[in-house]
Amino acid sequence: MKLQKNKLTALILIMIAMLLPLIFSGSSYFVLIFCFIEIYIIGVSGLDILFGYCGQVSLGHAAFYAIGAYGSVLLHKYTGMPVLVTMIIGSALGAVVGAIVAYSCSKLVFHFLSLATQAVGEIIYILVSHSPNNVTGNYVGMYTDPVNLFGFKLDSEYKFFYFALGCVVIFLLAKQFLVNSKTGRAFTAIRENVHAADGMGINVRAYKVKAFATSAFYTAFAGAMFAHLVEYVSPDSFLYKQSVMFLTMLLFGGSGSLLGPILGASAVLLVNESLRSLQDYQMLVYGIMMLIVIVVMPGGIFGLGKGVMAKIKNKKLNGGEANA
Amino acid sequence: MLETKGVTIKFGGLTAVNHVDMKVRANKITGLIGPNGAGKTTFFNCISGVYTPNEGQVLFNGKNIEGMKPYQICNAGISRTYQVINLFWKMSAIENVMVGMHPRLKSGFLTDLIKTPAVRAEEKMVREKAYEWLKFVGLEKYADDPSGSLSYGGQRLLEIVRGLASDSKILLLDEPAAGMNTKEKAEFDELLQKILEKGVTILMIEHDMKLVMNICDYLYVLEYGKLLAHGTPEEIQNHPEVIRAYLGGE
Repeated sequence: MKLQKNKLTALILIMIAMLLPLIFSGSSYFVLIFCFIEIYIIGVSGLDILFGYCGQVSLGHAAFYAIGAYGSVLLHKYTGMPVLVTMIIGSALGAVVGAIVAYSCSKLVFHFLSLATQAVGEIIYILVSHSPNNVTGNYVGMYTDPVNLFGFKLDSEYKFFYFALGCVVIFLLAKQFLVNSKTGRAFTAIRENVHAADGMGINVRAYKVKAFATSAFYTAFAGAMFAHLVEYVSPDSFLYKQSVMFLTMLLFGGSGSLLGPILGASAVLLVNESLRSLQDYQMLVYGIMMLIVIVVMPGGIFGLGKGVMAKIKNKKLNGGEANA
Repeated sequence: MLETKGVTIKFGGLTAVNHVDMKVRANKITGLIGPNGAGKTTFFNCISGVYTPNEGQVLFNGKNIEGMKPYQICNAGISRTYQVINLFWKMSAIENVMVGMHPRLKSGFLTDLIKTPAVRAEEKMVREKAYEWLKFVGLEKYADDPSGSLSYGGQRLLEIVRGLASDSKILLLDEPAAGMNTKEKAEFDELLQKILEKGVTILMIEHDMKLVMNICDYLYVLEYGKLLAHGTPEEIQNHPEVIRAYLGGE
């Protein structure tokens, strides 16, 4: 019964999302923003698997974002493979790098892990901005082609929007399957209590590697989508602040949930865009948002909503009892 | 069934466990007692893989398990509870048990990702079986409550059943009755008998002498990391060394 209700809610949400470009059909700017929101939903959901479910912090997710973007763009440019294929290979590459990072960092916790992942982010940034033989175009960046879906070119925001929506549905569905499975339970167990998880027969290192790799795959795929949407990549998109952006979105929306990344990505990106004219103050706004989350709503928007719903339910129950 | 030979562990200059030989007989309750700081929990940690002994062997069904990782030892069929309750606090009671069943599940990462029919069936089986386990200790009412919201005794029971859920052959209990009231202790006695009936061997650390003398089939006494005495409860009760260790005197 409950599951049916969830399915219905999901279907309605997808329907509303499908109508969005029609409502805003006059302004391709808005549709572009929706495309970005979709990309961020996938990227942030990736971080959620790692941080929200497995409890491993990463301040270097821009690295995987970059690997997905550059991996796909470079493969497409130098081998001529179709874009969709290179996107998947680029994401797989991100997953491999994620697994290597996780394997070597599996004993690190909290601040040590965040420093290590931050370093990975910097390494990848330096690598793409000072590449050997200028293969990545360094600071100039390079142009690339739009996504080509079996001969159908997604060269407008409208077309891309629906492609990205399909991706969001697939990725979120897979995420839901994963976190509600044996693997997901193992992730949560590691988050809750590493020693007990180890004692219960969970190979902590192996599961941390799995969480990191999956997370990296998601974020790398988002990076590849980003590259082929704007049809251009440059190192500027993969600065440290990109990693912070992912984390802000996740915390703002609420970690460890399906809706959290969706809410967080939408809210932060919309605020971000509306402040475009005050670019210098963007970081200030991030700071304020972070403070709000930490002080007022530690569970993010999702957590806040859940708390309010529980209160209403309680009141109804109590009211019902009083009447009876 | 479980046997240790000369297990020794040193932390710097301190020898926490000193050449302990122990034999845990199958389908019996073996007790490990001793004053505070005698090295009982450290000895448990040597068996369950948290520490690797500096010397000696730990044999489980004739196979050496010393130096293996905790998760490997759990997979081999030894599960444990902790002195300080170590539950997955934010997960529900039933999920805690489901995590306990982890080593026996066949689904893999990729099948979990696409939720194949086999995974679906297995998940259904896991949930039902976990519910059965909760019923076994009488916690089925709290199946969907976060484990942190359970009463202290409930949390102890949940930890035991989480260990049992992995179909382990031997269960290591570290002060399972701590914090239980008299009524709960009586029920706990029955529970241990029910666990034995399932063919599970028990090795437990316990401070409550009355409980230990009543339910244990065989006892080992540790003092300052050394084995002081071993024998049946009657023998231990009348052992002069044990009386000295507990009551003091020359």
